[in-house]
Order: sequence, then structure tokens, then C-alpha cells
Amino acid sequence: MARETMSPTERLWAAIRLEKPDRVPVVPTLLPEPAAHLTGLTMAQVANSNQVALEAMFKVFDEYGGWDSSYPGAYKPIQMQAANLDPMKMRIPGKDLPDDHTWQLVEEEIMKPEDYDKIYEMGIDRFYYDDYLWRISDLKPEDVPREIEALQASFEQFLTECSKRAIQPFFLGYAIHPFFTLSLMRSMVPFTQDLYFNPEPVERVLRRMTTDLISTQLPIAKASGINTWLFTEERASAYFYPPAVFERFWWPYTQEVVDAFWSEGIVTIFHLDQCWDKNIPYFKKLPKGSAILELDSRTDIFRAKEILRGHSCFHGDVPAALLSIGKPDDVEAYCRKLIDEVGGDGGLILGSGCSVPCNVKPENFRAMIETGKSYEFSKKMTVNAG
Amino acid sequence: MSEELSMAVVELKGDRAVEMVRNRVERGENPIQILEECRQGMSIVGERFQKGEYFLAELLLSAEIFKGAVTILEPYLAKARPPKPLGKVVLATLRGDIHDLGKNIVATLLRAQGFEVYDLGVDVDPAVVVKKVKETGPEFVGFSALITTAFDSMKEAAEMLAEAGLRDKLKLMVGGGVTTPMVKEYVGADFQTTDAMEGVAYCMKAMRGK
Repeated sequence: MARETMSPTERLWAAIRLEKPDRVPVVPTLLPEPAAHLTGLTMAQVANSNQVALEAMFKVFDEYGGWDSSYPGAYKPIQMQAANLDPMKMRIPGKDLPDDHTWQLVEEEIMKPEDYDKIYEMGIDRFYYDDYLWRISDLKPEDVPREIEALQASFEQFLTECSKRAIQPFFLGYAIHPFFTLSLMRSMVPFTQDLYFNPEPVERVLRRMTTDLISTQLPIAKASGINTWLFTEERASAYFYPPAVFERFWWPYTQEVVDAFWSEGIVTIFHLDQCWDKNIPYFKKLPKGSAILELDSRTDIFRAKEILRGHSCFHGDVPAALLSIGKPDDVEAYCRKLIDEVGGDGGLILGSGCSVPCNVKPENFRAMIETGKSYEFSKKMTVNAG
Repeated sequence: MSEELSMAVVELKGDRAVEMVRNRVERGENPIQILEECRQGMSIVGERFQKGEYFLAELLLSAEIFKGAVTILEPYLAKARPPKPLGKVVLATLRGDIHDLGKNIVATLLRAQGFEVYDLGVDVDPAVVVKKVKETGPEFVGFSALITTAFDSMKEAAEMLAEAGLRDKLKLMVGGGVTTPMVKEYVGADFQTTDAMEGVAYCMKAMRGK
């Protein structure tokens, strides 16, 4: 009978290195909110306690038979503000929203045009903690070190829980792309006006933020001992902007960041929401194996695979809508197609498109995990029997 | 009809467009005619978007110019005999979701095409939608979502519209980043898209068919 011949970490890295693993590695983006739903907790309970969030995530891991690497995410939303990872106002269940609502970010123009000069002079981190954070958050200065300390403690515990299950975190280092950061801080329409009608300050700041990002995040990623890091971008694709904007304001900075991390052997996991169909060919310019493209099902992953076959690994992309309102048979069929067409020769990590939705049906979540873990072995058994 | 104002909107020359609108309306030109020229510009923007020559960015920027023009024209339009709207649309992001970027874009684009839009905002209870539909009698109702938890609110609203005998009198549209054809079936909607301009084109086409 066909069976696993690789450890979870060997399997994960075989896929990242574009080799054929014994079966496709499975890594659902399970954050505290879907974990709360799957364990009968409220969104407010996980949004207000790292401990509850962490326990919920690993309870799901254990109850659904486990998978190959865990997405770090046992955080309170407010800690994402404290750690400069979500630079927007937020609405939190149990405080601003009913207990059963998921926490959400608010699109609002907080950063003003004159702030470009401040960021250029001060650097984004100093600007954020000296000035910007207090425009978006109820946190008080004395809360910030405490929340960051709590977040770090939660990560330590996360590592312990991973270790108990003989898996490694999918990544530990994480940053939002400078372009995306500015779009979130300015909000989309004003940022677009800046790009078209007053581009010089944007360019100066992107230059500075890219240099700063490499100098601050690369040592963190190196120290983590995990040779991956997450780089998020949701607003730069051709869904939003023409190639001229992409080529001027996004691609050169991106390439520089990826090159810097790759020179240290660190693979960039791009979290790419929205449709990147027209932008996919650019990723061929990156060094082979230096990037994982995490797609949310809006990009045609099957076409993307044809373009980047043997060049980049993919993570995804079972659609959120399918997981939340579809049927297990449909989830299974979609996973099989992904495994056959995207993972056939390696280079696929099976997971959800973006995060697992917070109203995922338990039977659909199970179908995704179990299809990932069993489908290729079932094919080998069929071949052997034949 | 002057093409210069229309093309200022198309070419994203916002300052020039606003200047022309202000000068002409202050000179006593018909505000409805000036508005129509701005709309003509927005139609060309829409055509370029559908051909793949323009992107969402250009839609957003031209819509902002259009909004600026309407702000100048509004006091004059109030005195003029207002043109009959092309159609009426009720829009909402329903209970459980507070994202409004996509909905706001659709609202602006629909207004630019001459629709009267009743934007109910975010985290809207389905009962509020039914009340507004009874009050205004729209040809279209549109729900926008960025997160999957809004699907059930959409379905609930669709069922409440049916129970109130209103569903057959309008076209129900769903849109937003997480929606798919499966969501359209689940909700029982008539139309689904992740593309704002496609939604506007759907409304235009449906009105032409009337």
C-alpha cells in the first residue's frame, strides 16, 4: 500500500524546491477566526486572547488529523497595530462589533500628502510609532511594549506547539509590501491620485521603505531559522493598475527585496490577493525557486502554472466561497484538479485561497485536508492494482 | 456638444475639467448639458476599461473628477428641471461586513451613468433593504461583499424581498472579491461580478431592454 515516505518538513521543502514530494504538502491558512468557528468559539473570544486563539488553532490541527506546516497567526488584532503589521483603524468583535463578527479593517485616509516627507525623513518605523499609530488606535504608548511582548510570547508558544507535532512554521518573518502599506495608510483613491498626479514623493518613500525593510526584516528572517518569510501585497496587480504603474512603483522594489533575501537562501512567500493574471510573467524574472506565490483563486492558478512551471512554487488556492457554501464533493474535485494540474510535477503547496473563511463548513475543511493527504496515494494504489 | 470637457474627464485632467464646468455654468450654460458631457466622458472611460485600455485606477480617478463636477453643478441642477434618472439602484454591504470600497466605486460609476443610487452603507440589516426597496421601487438591488460571512445576509435579504413580493420586480446583483457564480446561485441573484464596470454595463443593458 502506498504511504508517506517523507517528513512534513521534507515534503514542504521538496515542493518549495520544485521537486516532486511523496504527496502534495498541505498548509491551510488557518487563522484564529476560522479556528474559532470550527471549535465553537466566538470571534470575540479569539480576538481578545492569544491563548484562546492558539489553543483553537491547534485543536483544529489535531481534530482534523494535522497537516504539513502551520501558518503562524495566534494574535490579537490590536497586536497587529502595535507591531506595525496592520496600519489601519480596526473594528474588533466584543468591542466595536458583535461577538460573532470577524474583526475588520477600515478604509480611511489617515496618512496625508505631507506625511510622505515625514516618512522619508524619519523612516516608516519611527513615523509609525512617533505619530501615525496614535491616529488609528486606542492603544496608549505604555500598551505597545506589553502587547508586543505578549505577541512574542504567543509566537514562542506557537513554536512549541509546532515542535510537539513535528512540523515547522510556514514562515516567521512577515512584512507588508511598501506599496501596499502606503495604499492602506493613504487609502486607495488618494494613493492612486498620488501615483498619477504627484508621483515623486511616493517614489522617494518607496525607495526609503524598501531599503529599511531589507535592513530590518532580513536579520529577523535569518534569525528565525526558517528559510521563508511572508510578503503581502493585495493592491498592485493589473486588476488595479496598468503595467506602467506596476513597472515603475512595484516591480523594481519587489525584485530588490526578493534578491536580498534569496542571497541569504531565504524564499519569499508572496501573499497575492486579487487577480494577477497579467502580472504573472514578471515573476519569471526572479531567481528560480526564490518565491512562492500564494494566490486567492482570483488569479488563474492553472494558467500561472503554465507560465511559471519549474520556476516558482504555488500555495493555494481553494476558493473561500467554495469552502464556505460549497459541498465536500466539489471541494474534493477542485483539490484533485489542483494536485493534477498544478502539483503534477511538484511545486504546489495545497491550501486555501487567502485565509480559510471564518464560516467554513467543517465537512469542506476536512475534504480539503483529506484530499490533499490521500489523493496521490490513491492514484498510486490504482496504478499498482492495475 | 463640446468634446473638450468629455475628453478632460477621459484623460484625467481633473483641474481642467473642474475649471471648464465652473466657467460654463457661471456663464449661464445649461447645467444639465454640462453634466451630460461629463457623463459622456465617463462612458468613454467605461469603454476603454472594457477594452482593457484602462484599469480600475482610471475608473477611480475619472469618477473622482465626475464627483467634483457634480459638486459644482448641484446648486444649479437643483434649480433646473432635473433629468429623469436612467433607473434606480439600491446598494448595500450587508450585516457582518463593513467593507465599502467596491460598493462606493459601483455607486459612483452608476451615478455617472445617470442612475439614481440609494447607498445604504455597510453592515446593513436585510430588513432595511426591504424597507428601502418598498419606498423607492428600484429596478436593481446590489449587494457587495469582501468576506464570506456576508453570503448568508445576502441570501436572507433575497428571501425577504421574495416574501414581500418585491423580488420579481427587480434584478438582484451580487459582487465583490469573494463572490463567484456559486454565490449567485446560493443567494438566488440574477447577476454576479467582481468587476465594477461589468455591473454598470449589466444595469445599462437591462435598462435598454425595457
